[in-house]
Amino acid sequence: YPLFQRGGPQLRIFRPNFFMLAVRPGVPQPEDTVQFRVSMEMTKLDIRNYLERIYNVPVAAVRTRIQYGANNKRNHRNQRVKKPDYKVAYVQLGQGQTFQFPNLFPEKEQDAETRSFDDFRDKYMEKEKQKQEGDPRRGGVPDWFGL
Amino acid sequence: MAVVGARRLLRSGRRWFSETVPGDPSPPASPLYPPVVASITAKSKAAKSRRLQRFNQRVHAAATVEEKLRLYGKLQRPKYMVYPQTFALNADRWYRSFTRTVLVPGLPPRAAAAKSPVSAAEATPEAGRAPEPPAEAAAEAPGVAEAPGAAKTPEPATGAAPFPGIGELRSLTCDALLQESFYQNKKRPFLYRDQDHTPGPFLTQLVSTLAASLSVRNPLLAASSLDLNPEVNYYWHHGEEVVVHGHRKGRVDPVRFQIDDNPHLQIRVPKQLPEVVPLESDLGDVPVIDHKPSKLPLFKKQYENKVFIGSKVADPCCYGHTQFHLLPDKLKRERFIRQRLEDQIEVVYRSNGIASLFAWTAAQAMYQGFWNEADVTRPFVSQAVVTDGKYFAFFCYQLNTLALTAETIKDNPRKNICWGTDSMPLYDVVEDGNVKGFNDEVLLHLVNFLLNRPKEL
Repeated sequence: YPLFQRGGPQLRIFRPNFFMLAVRPGVPQPEDTVQFRVSMEMTKLDIRNYLERIYNVPVAAVRTRIQYGANNKRNHRNQRVKKPDYKVAYVQLGQGQTFQFPNLFPEKEQDAETRSFDDFRDKYMEKEKQKQEGDPRRGGVPDWFGL
Repeated sequence: MAVVGARRLLRSGRRWFSETVPGDPSPPASPLYPPVVASITAKSKAAKSRRLQRFNQRVHAAATVEEKLRLYGKLQRPKYMVYPQTFALNADRWYRSFTRTVLVPGLPPRAAAAKSPVSAAEATPEAGRAPEPPAEAAAEAPGVAEAPGAAKTPEPATGAAPFPGIGELRSLTCDALLQESFYQNKKRPFLYRDQDHTPGPFLTQLVSTLAASLSVRNPLLAASSLDLNPEVNYYWHHGEEVVVHGHRKGRVDPVRFQIDDNPHLQIRVPKQLPEVVPLESDLGDVPVIDHKPSKLPLFKKQYENKVFIGSKVADPCCYGHTQFHLLPDKLKRERFIRQRLEDQIEVVYRSNGIASLFAWTAAQAMYQGFWNEADVTRPFVSQAVVTDGKYFAFFCYQLNTLALTAETIKDNPRKNICWGTDSMPLYDVVEDGNVKGFNDEVLLHLVNFLLNRPKEL
């Protein structure tokens, strides 16, 4: 951002190039708190104005932290591979609103066809496994062992 | 063992030892072997509970209160720092869950017996006096209004406001206010130091003059001690959590809290204020919050576990009467209105009242030797006034239980109770040497707070 000096114009940003990604919190958060991954250059004021002006979401408080990406993995040349750093913002909604991260992969109800197909497939796999294992009366002894 | 063996043989019908009497049930006088108990140093739950029991016995057996406090706060671990004056949203709900407090809106009905002799003596000669605004009858003293109201129906106005010298006190208040804000020539306040510039000295002056003039009526105030900018600390455990990082990872630990508070003024008295409701009363529900306290946000630090009421244990004024809190510039009304968080203004007053009063009353109880294994046998009552110079909010707290740890809270039906009002302005503006829109209700609340005393006095 350009440096602000006294008497200068207020900084106005139109059509910002920032993106905010709403994520599922790793640890349970209170009902009014939404967790975002934001660009490293965004400030708390930026996040508040972004949500209020563009999405009309009332924001009561914003807290941010920077998550350091680890540098421990090694590639095939034994060079360290860094996971990128990112900024996490915890936004508390105003006016008593709450937010619960939705379940993006709900269990779909299976119809009769898929259920019967799944049963058939499970039974076939069981039979194949039985054939592979051999006679249970031999107690795990291989079948080439004998007289 | 020999007796047991002999009894078994006897039961099977064979007599081996002729000297043992059949059916001899008495065990030997002293046990032959030491009792079988869990180890002390093993890495097991039984050993942990045995260590805890030994620690509890050590604290119970401590000779003096100082020794008890020293042992109670001996082990230092990271703990949450609870700030009574905080900008966190909805902090009063969280604080109520940490301290097991029920919030009751409005002030408790004052004992009619303490007030009706005053009102009976002074109301009759002052039937012709200009009636005081009885606006606070419904909120503050329904007990007072009922008892004199039933007896003296021809004086409904004076029956609700039994204080004759209110005009004098009003002039004292206006004098203090004008002196600080109008007459005295002060330079402009430094950045973010507005509260120390005018409202701080005004509050000090107001409280000291009111306490001095009311000590005639209230002998407790004459024997009290007024502290300027004292320190109040309390340390306690509540609930359990699993340690996340570090060499102690995976262990179950109590959640530790510490309050370090600096009220603007404090009045400590040698005798305790009377209880408002009986010890086991249930006036509401405590909010239950499943999340970790760090989501409030609340942060952990490790430092001295201090329990302090404002004076050391040997001080005769060991009970609390009233605290006066001044809100800092960060929590001004205008800031909240600019951020469009109007509902958080009252939350600030409430969280300050609840946290500060819990810390003060609990520290007073610890000074008397109670702690979470030895719960209080009588309720501890204190009062507080939270203000930002213009708006005043009044709180009264009754501590019924100190047992907030995970084991002691299981069978504990008691809850602490906090009565509190919303913030009311004392005046509207100060212009040209006049105080416009003075609110007598606030002054009356303040006077009643200062006049509160045990029934014997």
